[in-house]
Amino acid sequence: MSNLQETVQNREELFQFIDTDSITSEKIIAPRYSYWRSVFRVFFRKKTSIVMLALLVFILLVSFIMPSFWPYDPFENVTNAATYSLTPAKAMDYFGGFSFKWLLGTGAMGNSILYGIVSGARTSLLLAVICAAINMTIGIIIGAIWGYSKKFDSVMLVVYNIIANVPYILLITVLVYVIGSGFWSFVFALTVTGWLSIAYFFRTQVMIIRDREYSLASRCLGTPVNRVISKNILPFLTSVIVTLLASELPSYISMEVFLSYIGVGLSANVPSLGRMIQNAQSAFLTYPWQFWPPVAVASAITIILYVLGQNLADASDPRTHM
Amino acid sequence: METTKKEVLLSIQNLDVVFGRGKKSFKAVSDVSFDIYKGETLSLVGESGSGKTTIGRAIMRINPCSAGAIYYNGEKISGKLSRKADREVIRKIQMIFQDPAASLNERATIEYIISEGLYNFHLYKDERDRIAKIEKVIRDVGLLPEHLTRYPHEFSGGQRQRVGIARSIVMEPEFIVADEPISALDVSIRAQVLNLLKKFQNERGLTYLFIAHDLSIVRFISDRIVVIYKGRIMEIAETEELFSYPLHPYTKSLISAIPIPDPIIEKSKRLFVYSTDLHDYSTEQPALVDIGNGHMVYGSPSEIEKYKAIRFGG
Repeated sequence: MSNLQETVQNREELFQFIDTDSITSEKIIAPRYSYWRSVFRVFFRKKTSIVMLALLVFILLVSFIMPSFWPYDPFENVTNAATYSLTPAKAMDYFGGFSFKWLLGTGAMGNSILYGIVSGARTSLLLAVICAAINMTIGIIIGAIWGYSKKFDSVMLVVYNIIANVPYILLITVLVYVIGSGFWSFVFALTVTGWLSIAYFFRTQVMIIRDREYSLASRCLGTPVNRVISKNILPFLTSVIVTLLASELPSYISMEVFLSYIGVGLSANVPSLGRMIQNAQSAFLTYPWQFWPPVAVASAITIILYVLGQNLADASDPRTHM
Repeated sequence: METTKKEVLLSIQNLDVVFGRGKKSFKAVSDVSFDIYKGETLSLVGESGSGKTTIGRAIMRINPCSAGAIYYNGEKISGKLSRKADREVIRKIQMIFQDPAASLNERATIEYIISEGLYNFHLYKDERDRIAKIEKVIRDVGLLPEHLTRYPHEFSGGQRQRVGIARSIVMEPEFIVADEPISALDVSIRAQVLNLLKKFQNERGLTYLFIAHDLSIVRFISDRIVVIYKGRIMEIAETEELFSYPLHPYTKSLISAIPIPDPIIEKSKRLFVYSTDLHDYSTEQPALVDIGNGHMVYGSPSEIEKYKAIRFGG
């Protein structure tokens, strides 16, 4: 019995009391989290992001720098019928030796296809970026207020129902006929009501977040509406915004191509991919070099922008940051 | 205790809260009246869906009152207010939320979350003063100033709830609505948060409306208890009075549901199940009646006589 007690006592000596320090237990040792740094880390982890980004940079550089060295004039050989629709080899023969200008042959009026594509790509990219910037900015601001304010909501729903029921193509067609078909009037036609559908989509997103508990807490602290929107709502919608951008940007390029194709696009003196495709479509079996290169470039730009946008949207979702 | 001598801070009078309109309308709170005295902790107890949170939110003016009024320091705060009065009430009445995960903005740093109210009311002289204020409050709740640059998802539930408390305390409020502040927390840290609330009450003379469904916690923290069932007040009494003499059958059922930390007693415990069939209100109209000693019970005149007999002997 005494033996047993001794062992127990000895056992107790093996243990000793340690003071707990409540402050050290509060310490967080994980590295600091930064939202945007994590976004870029996840974005560049994907190989497709790097490849697509390199391709985009290449296309941007070529289409924005080269037109000043390669001025495109669709009517430069219009008086010389012998230059019409020549294959690359024949064109180089005709114009005397190898030249980048005739690398893709000539168009239906003796114009350089390569120069046309380069200048057209610039127009398409500019159009996409400008239209997306205008529509997204107006759409997000209006959509945020629309989703937050119940009074504004009832007014805007009526406006939306009226305008959204007018066929979009019809509206653009009429606008292009009325205000002309220059670059800026085309931008105007695409943005005058284009923001409305973005705003409507955004309204729904805002409504989902509006009544969450932390927004309620902000209300109890008397936070003004603009700060609730900028601090409580928009940061949660970053990935939604980027996803939207990923589908909006290429859609303007397709829109331009489509509208030019049906004949209400940019005017003939503005180089554009859509215009080139439309000009070549009737002869794409006989003169395939006039048709496929602009189609390929337009598709490539659309695909690159879409893939990049999707990768960025994935990366901007904080659930992928772990 | 003589309750009549105390100063009434918040008074709710015949409050009704109705959600929806017409046929679909649902009356969440009906004819609720009670006073909260300065410096006390009043607990609102009832089962889920009994309207506790709705009353708390009506005080915060998140839910509009359909009828009745709420007075704060003698001034009406329900319905439309002037901008100045509105700002004043927002600053003086703060809320602590139930879910510490949902009530903090996940995309804002702790510094912004705690400073939010300070920014809104410009309650600081300059940047240094603001930093000093939030550093003091974060130490007061037992966190570290280095946490200020962190995001809510990096904290445990108890730490988050303390951030929530810091956010309301930094406003230097007079009255705090604590909406089940510990029900989402682990049992091991509940006491920590409750002690923190008590500490602030002692230091700053705060008044709490404590909303809970757990009577054992309520007994620890509150001075008076309001028992509510389906949007109606069943009983109001001081804490010990209520636990010694639970009169309304619903209160009895709540008290019988408190777990006893002894398996033998717990097993043989008789659970009291409440049902409205216990009452016969076909001939007599029930009302909330003061039966003396600050104890109010909801019942018909004959029931009240019975309750009085139980309470004061006879």
